[in-house]
Amino acid sequence: MSKDSKMRATINQKLTEMGERERLKELLRAKLTECGWRDQLKAHCKDVIKEKGLEHVTVEDLVVEITPKGRVLVPDSVKKELLQRIRAFLAQHAT
Amino acid sequence: MKMEDMSLSGLDNTKLEALAQDIYSDLVEDACLGLCFEVHRAVKQGYFFLDDTDQESMKDFEIVDQPGVDIFGQVYNQWKNKECVCPNCNRSIAASRFAPHLEKCLGMGRNSSRIANRRIASSNNMNNKSESDQEDNDDVNDNDWSYGSEKKAKKRKSDKVFLHSLKQHIPLVSFIAVRYLFMFCMLCFCPHVIARGPIDF
Repeated sequence: MSKDSKMRATINQKLTEMGERERLKELLRAKLTECGWRDQLKAHCKDVIKEKGLEHVTVEDLVVEITPKGRVLVPDSVKKELLQRIRAFLAQHAT
Repeated sequence: MKMEDMSLSGLDNTKLEALAQDIYSDLVEDACLGLCFEVHRAVKQGYFFLDDTDQESMKDFEIVDQPGVDIFGQVYNQWKNKECVCPNCNRSIAASRFAPHLEKCLGMGRNSSRIANRRIASSNNMNNKSESDQEDNDDVNDNDWSYGSEKKAKKRKSDKVFLHSLKQHIPLVSFIAVRYLFMFCMLCFCPHVIARGPIDF
């Protein structure tokens, strides 16, 4: 198991060091904005805020409400593309 | 050994897949958190609901989608068939051509002086040869950009005539000038060369 976690740590480190993580983040952000995911979630945020009251809303409230919905709302094409890129990176740099 | 290797690589594959999924969900969570922070800051700074307006104002500025009318609801070809009378030459001009015509007519545009001079020059030429109808040149010259080829052809023709006459004279003129210059120089500096007979010192 420790070998596993070691390998994971190495890969994560490589991901960050080579700038690939940043690139993937940017790619994901761009794709999500393009497909309207951001606007959908923002609309959901509005509902949450109206529910909780403008003055009393906290980051925790938003995170708890938004993150699960956000995960579900990601379109399949975006998910596939990102996974493809991650797998390519792993194939190149793992072991 | 091979079997073991295969099973090891199989494990690796599932592990790699799991790792890929984990990395992916990390990235998505990052994106969600980013959005949450943005929204929270907007709420606390008070600009989150800034782009919302009430329903009535939204209805006022809705996009219009009727035929014959632009998206603001205004009729856009209202002035297509209207004609105006020019106060300078008292001609009836189409509304869309009125501004350029006025420019030329009043002599205040960019090219108005050039065109006027050209017309005077060509009318002098024409008067010597034959009478032609100059009246309609105004409209042709109005369209600086669209009747480009016609204008160029006209210009080339008149320029050609002028240049041609000049060209015929240039060689002769220059030859005579050079000859005189040469003779003058010889007279000044080497008079003995002009003399017919041999030189006796």
